[in-house]
Amino acid sequence: MQMSMRQSQRLKLGLTYVLLALWAIFCLFPIYWLIITSVKLPIAVFQGPRYLPWIDFQPSLHAWQDVLFGRFQDEVARRWTNSAIMATSSAALAVVIGSMAGYALTRFQYFVPGLKWRNNDLAFWIISQRMLPPVVIILPYIIMFRFLRLIDTHAGMILAYTVFNLPFVVWIMRDFFAGLPIDLEESALIDGASRFQAFTRIVLPLSTPGLIATYLFCLMFAWNDYLFALMLTFSRASTMPMYVAGMGSQSYGPQWWYLSALSLLTIAPMILIALLVERYITRGLVVGAIK
Amino acid sequence: MSWDLSRLEGGAYFIGLGNFVTLVNDARFWNTARVSLIFVVGAVTLEYVLGLGVAMLLNQQIRFRRFFRVAFLLPMMLTPAAVAYAGRMLFNEGMGPINDIIRHLGGPQIPWFSNPTLALPSLMLLDAWEWTPFMMIVLLAGLQSLPLEVFEAARVDGASDWQVFRHITFPMLVPVSITVVLIRALEAFKLFDIVTVMTGGGPGTATEPVTLYAYLVGMKNGNLGYASAIAYALLVMVVIFSMIFLNSLRRRAAAGE
Repeated sequence: MQMSMRQSQRLKLGLTYVLLALWAIFCLFPIYWLIITSVKLPIAVFQGPRYLPWIDFQPSLHAWQDVLFGRFQDEVARRWTNSAIMATSSAALAVVIGSMAGYALTRFQYFVPGLKWRNNDLAFWIISQRMLPPVVIILPYIIMFRFLRLIDTHAGMILAYTVFNLPFVVWIMRDFFAGLPIDLEESALIDGASRFQAFTRIVLPLSTPGLIATYLFCLMFAWNDYLFALMLTFSRASTMPMYVAGMGSQSYGPQWWYLSALSLLTIAPMILIALLVERYITRGLVVGAIK
Repeated sequence: MSWDLSRLEGGAYFIGLGNFVTLVNDARFWNTARVSLIFVVGAVTLEYVLGLGVAMLLNQQIRFRRFFRVAFLLPMMLTPAAVAYAGRMLFNEGMGPINDIIRHLGGPQIPWFSNPTLALPSLMLLDAWEWTPFMMIVLLAGLQSLPLEVFEAARVDGASDWQVFRHITFPMLVPVSITVVLIRALEAFKLFDIVTVMTGGGPGTATEPVTLYAYLVGMKNGNLGYASAIAYALLVMVVIFSMIFLNSLRRRAAAGE
């Protein structure tokens, strides 16, 4: 039987929605599972899979009670604050330093005599830092940090995350500044503004959306990091992901309800960031930079 | 955790290429190299195919666009250590929902992470959950930048959907595909957090990538010299892989024209 054009169009649209819905379930189900596991009693976890609160198990806030107000409270507060301090300040540092480098790479001509490098070569050299597997660079970090007594300190971790994020910031902001019209700055310079004034008064306000998106990405990288924290901290400057990882490797087996609550506390800020950066990403800002 | 870095200060002495000689004869290292390579090829292929599919679905006039975009982006934003634990719960053979759902659908029970042969593909699946979104956004941006006239012309000429995809969309997406696959492959070689939390390299060493081996040698055994040699070997692997990948594509592009 022949289908009419219209019918086949509608069939195709229907199929699209079915597939989109399936993919959305695939993406969101693990987060749903974390949420419902965090409100299960141990017995409900070990009885086998239970999917719907109130219907096939009785929810309880016992895990949240312990994590937020009970025996884990102090540790959780400390790690969460550590993560927040180190992620926000390293992201701010990286954006400040990196955007200046990105600006300079679009407005001045550099020439490295011995190597005959120009701006593009410099920019590539900067991004190439990101291609090294972190395991390769972490070993020299350990040696340097021990020498400088930076192991397990907030300052050390902020420094490490800043350096880790810098290439990304330089690359993205360079792209962003290259797209800004140069006339505005030039007229400001003619009116007697200094280069630095032109940068802070004209260029920066124009690039606020780009700066915010880049900042949020740096925040995300630093917050989500596991390797640097594993190698360079052990107690004082330890972070939330490390706490989650440590919680699961206890000798009496993982306590899934606590793990789920802690995991949710760890990913909650990232969910917020995802909501905030979605429009920047789909506008092609960040994507444009890696093409 | 062991922090015995005493060899660093006390007994450091020059051994020439000694660490690299050890490396070449180290069966465990070659196994980790194999694991890393299989993981990179498998995971990135899976992510590319899924990412392209989802990007094509999103590149249409649809409702609830913002909801779908946020939902589809979310996985790549989440902390890998937490994702790995969620994975351990979901794939758990006794209390995890995945096998349970498969059983309700009448399928067999799958020993996801306890079977040495299946553990690596299972890990790829988890990695695909987290990183397909990255492929998706880049390919979606690529799709949206394609000129519309070409598609309209093809429609007027009566090309089928598959013909449009095979002869127009896909060829025009090749440049951005090369970039995004290469970026993902470089990232996949760095695989560390997910595998460390999820399997710790096990069962046995079935899922142990080079990165984890370097970590174990350097931090657990305190042999930073040998760990550095392993890290260098990984760097060489990454460079060779990228060169082969780019060269073969260039040759294929040249042959196609």
